[in-house]
Amino acid sequence: MPNLYYDDQVVRQFIKATLLWGLIAFLAGLLAALQLANPLFNFELPWLTFGRLRPLHTNAAIFAFAGNAIFAGIYHSTQRLCKSRMFSDKLSQIHFWGWQAIIVSAAITLPLGFTQSKEYAELEWPIDIAIAAIWVVFAINFFMTLKIRKEKHMYVAIWFYIATIITVAVLHIANSIEVPVAFFKSYPIYAGIQDAMVQWWYGHNAVAFFLTTPFLGLMYYYVPKAVNRPVYSYKLSIIHFWALIFIYIWAGPHHLLNTALPDWAQTLGVVFSVMLWAPSWGGMINGLLTLRGAWHLLRTDPVIKFFVAAITFYGMATFEGPLLSIKSVNALGHYTDWIIAHVHAGALGWNGFLTFGMIYYLVPKLYNTELHSKSLATKHFWIAITGILLYYISMLAAGITQGMMWMDIDSSGRLTYPDFVETVTRIVPLYWVRSLGGLLFILGALLMFYNLYKTMVGSKECPNIKIPEPLETRTTEKETGHRKLENAALAFSILAFIAIAVGTVIEFLPILRVGAYVNSEKAVAPYSPLELAGRDIYIREGCYTCHSQMIRKLPSDVMRFGEPSTINESMYDRPYQWGSKRTGPDLARVGGKYPHLWHFKHMYNPQDVISMSIMPSYPWLFKNRTDFQSLRRKLSVMKMLGVPYSDDQVGNADTFAEKEAKQIAKELQEQGADSDRLEDREIVALIAYLQALGQKGIDQTPNANENEEDEK
Amino acid sequence: MSNDDKLIEGHEYDGIQELDNPLPKWWLMTFYATIVFAIGYFAYYQIFDGPTSQEELNADLAEIQSNQPEVSTSTDSSEIDVQALLANSDAMKIGEEAFGQFCIACHGQKGEGTIGPNLTDKYWMHSKGDLTGILVAIRDGFPQKGMPPWGQVIPPEKHAPLAAYVISLKGTNPPNAKAPQGNPIE
Ligand code: HEC
Ligand code: HEC
Repeated sequence: MPNLYYDDQVVRQFIKATLLWGLIAFLAGLLAALQLANPLFNFELPWLTFGRLRPLHTNAAIFAFAGNAIFAGIYHSTQRLCKSRMFSDKLSQIHFWGWQAIIVSAAITLPLGFTQSKEYAELEWPIDIAIAAIWVVFAINFFMTLKIRKEKHMYVAIWFYIATIITVAVLHIANSIEVPVAFFKSYPIYAGIQDAMVQWWYGHNAVAFFLTTPFLGLMYYYVPKAVNRPVYSYKLSIIHFWALIFIYIWAGPHHLLNTALPDWAQTLGVVFSVMLWAPSWGGMINGLLTLRGAWHLLRTDPVIKFFVAAITFYGMATFEGPLLSIKSVNALGHYTDWIIAHVHAGALGWNGFLTFGMIYYLVPKLYNTELHSKSLATKHFWIAITGILLYYISMLAAGITQGMMWMDIDSSGRLTYPDFVETVTRIVPLYWVRSLGGLLFILGALLMFYNLYKTMVGSKECPNIKIPEPLETRTTEKETGHRKLENAALAFSILAFIAIAVGTVIEFLPILRVGAYVNSEKAVAPYSPLELAGRDIYIREGCYTCHSQMIRKLPSDVMRFGEPSTINESMYDRPYQWGSKRTGPDLARVGGKYPHLWHFKHMYNPQDVISMSIMPSYPWLFKNRTDFQSLRRKLSVMKMLGVPYSDDQVGNADTFAEKEAKQIAKELQEQGADSDRLEDREIVALIAYLQALGQKGIDQTPNANENEEDEK
Repeated sequence: MSNDDKLIEGHEYDGIQELDNPLPKWWLMTFYATIVFAIGYFAYYQIFDGPTSQEELNADLAEIQSNQPEVSTSTDSSEIDVQALLANSDAMKIGEEAFGQFCIACHGQKGEGTIGPNLTDKYWMHSKGDLTGILVAIRDGFPQKGMPPWGQVIPPEKHAPLAAYVISLKGTNPPNAKAPQGNPIE
């Protein structure tokens, strides 16, 4: 009867996957860091270039490394907290292998340039469907295990798992509604501001419900286990759990502060982010105070070292988050490396260290042996924490330095650093320091791999652990309040769903009525077929990873890049390209700023034009042929989604595009481009798109977006 | 565990127990304070007459403009002594630096012309290649023809040295010079 035993096989599988993908995620991160320090590290290889590598790094770190770690911890702890084997071994295995297949497909498609360009949701539609399917498998397996559990009450760790599983499903499905135009290409049903809003509701809550709540659940199980102490406060668990999941879901708009987003949504983003501070710290307090009386272990036990550092980083990051959500602080930090510092305090410190601690704790237990070397694990800790601090401090300094340079206005009322590249070259040395930090983090991880490998091969056999009797049997004795809820998995899950649905609905409904925000009288012209082809190249190459297309309502932005971007201007943008990072200048109004030839030379090798540039070169755009064939299909999908193309434009999209390309190629030659047969090359389509940026608005008068303010 | 810690009876999960500690006071106070802030902030900006973000921007821009000196980018060259600038090595260094930073992208390392025209020959399209003509080119550019305006980007005190530097390039005959554009000016 296998049901008498825990299924630890799947836990061991998930742990190995965590280690493998962790290494890949870290290495991809290091390479991306080096590429920013020196663009030579792009190697002029399309599939390795920064714009494609960065999404690979973030997806690998979040979904492959952290994802597998979460699953390992959830499968291990849920069985013990329920005193029951997982509902179905088959589902566990489908979950494991399905998830690995998704990761492999991501690792293949992202470097090939198949991307939706929505951060942490880059994967194209077939993979989106696979993710949804596997997540449902996981959910069934998990909730059925709750149903058959022998333990009467659900411990706080389980609450966090419940919230995670429900919310991630909602987020993923709502953000991934898209219309396929080809096997690996789709357009989202949301456009412009809608897309931005949905994307950051997703993006922010991916951090909340993929990198925070499940890890808090893991903390609540593994920290008390490792120190053998009771949890500090049950009351705090209740309050901070419900407050956290209720408030978190609202805070997405803090990613869009000072942009064209309507003021009311920005205000909600600010206030809910500030209110998140205490609920987040509730978790930190409960974690740290659980260690009371066990502080001596901090000196001797590497597992405790990792846990304490992880919780401390969590506290730091969740203080910094609300701080960065204050509009004036955000004006300085947004688009800069400060945000990169912030996420890495979370990702390396909180997620990384909690995972390492958990794995060092689990592997000896799951292999029925001792850790190969405690001292190596301690070395890992010190090397990695040095790495994180170097990373965090260098990127904090880089972000604040660059942010201040962008904003600095001298006494005569001009930008002190009008030349963008100057603000880039200033921080390049810090990019080297960051790379060193990343390298140390990896060196530490390599020690861990070696240590765990030795531990695993040193084990004689994996134990088969028998499920003990539950402490309380499930009776129908009367209970009240939260305690009753802890005995009612279904009711608990429904309440958790309601908690996250409130903020979602209140922020969504008005945004989905996008007509209220787009002023059709001042509407913009849609992209020409060639421009659309160029736009899809821009998306494929991940230009958005370095370039924003959103001039904020801030004096320094307006003085540097022109009138603030309006909602109208991106009303046909599927997906939106507002971006979140300005490693290069904003491009919202770059159209017409330079002659075609400038872009031609610049894209071939940016350093030929701007000698200190760190932008990668794109020589393949000069060889690849533009995909005119697919344009009819693309335009027809766009038209179906509401873009006012005429039937003629849709039916003859390729002809129109070829004609326009000929014209641009001719102009390029007149300006002195020294190659022929340019008209069918991708570079011409890209130039068409770049020259269209900021040029589509019919009304370009200042303050054209004032009306929409009155409407609120 | 300190003395007043009390375990909650019946709360034990796989060996993990829970204490009956109250919510820390300072934590609760922080939470309440952020809620009060949130209500106040929301009310000020969304219910009462707090400024909209567009109004804040307009006010900021107006203040910055009021600081800008009146005629900061004049192209009146009657006061400027070109010969003195050409002879002044500091000024020429400023000019050369600005040229390297802002102009070589289109006019080439030595002004020989790449995307933009050759600035070292005697052919000019927009002016006679004199100080005023070049100052105007720097300040206003030819945005329709592919040269951005630099008036807001290059600090005004550098305009004259830069223009003088461009004049100094005349007749330098750099290699790879671009074919002449415009009319010959003797
Ligand atoms: C690694 C980050 C990075 C990536 C990726 C990147 N750029 Fe850039 N880009 C920069 C930097 C830095 C600059 C400023 C220096 C320069 O002009 O080269 C810049 C400048 C530009 C400019 C000039 C803007 C101006 O106003 O002067 C354009 C246009 C541009 N990039 C287009 C693109 C396109 C198109 C892509 C995608 C194919 C892309 N960039 C990808 C970093 C990047
Ligand atoms: C983005 C490319 C670009 C940059 C950068 C640029 N120029 Fe130009 N420049 C041009 C082009 C193109 C023309 C020719 C316009 C035309 O065809 O009418 C031009 C024309 C000129 C002319 C007039 C030439 C004539 O024949 O009358 C002068 C003078 C000039 N530039 C000076 C400068 C200086 C000084 C700088 C640096 C501050 C600079 N340019 C930067 C592209 C550029």
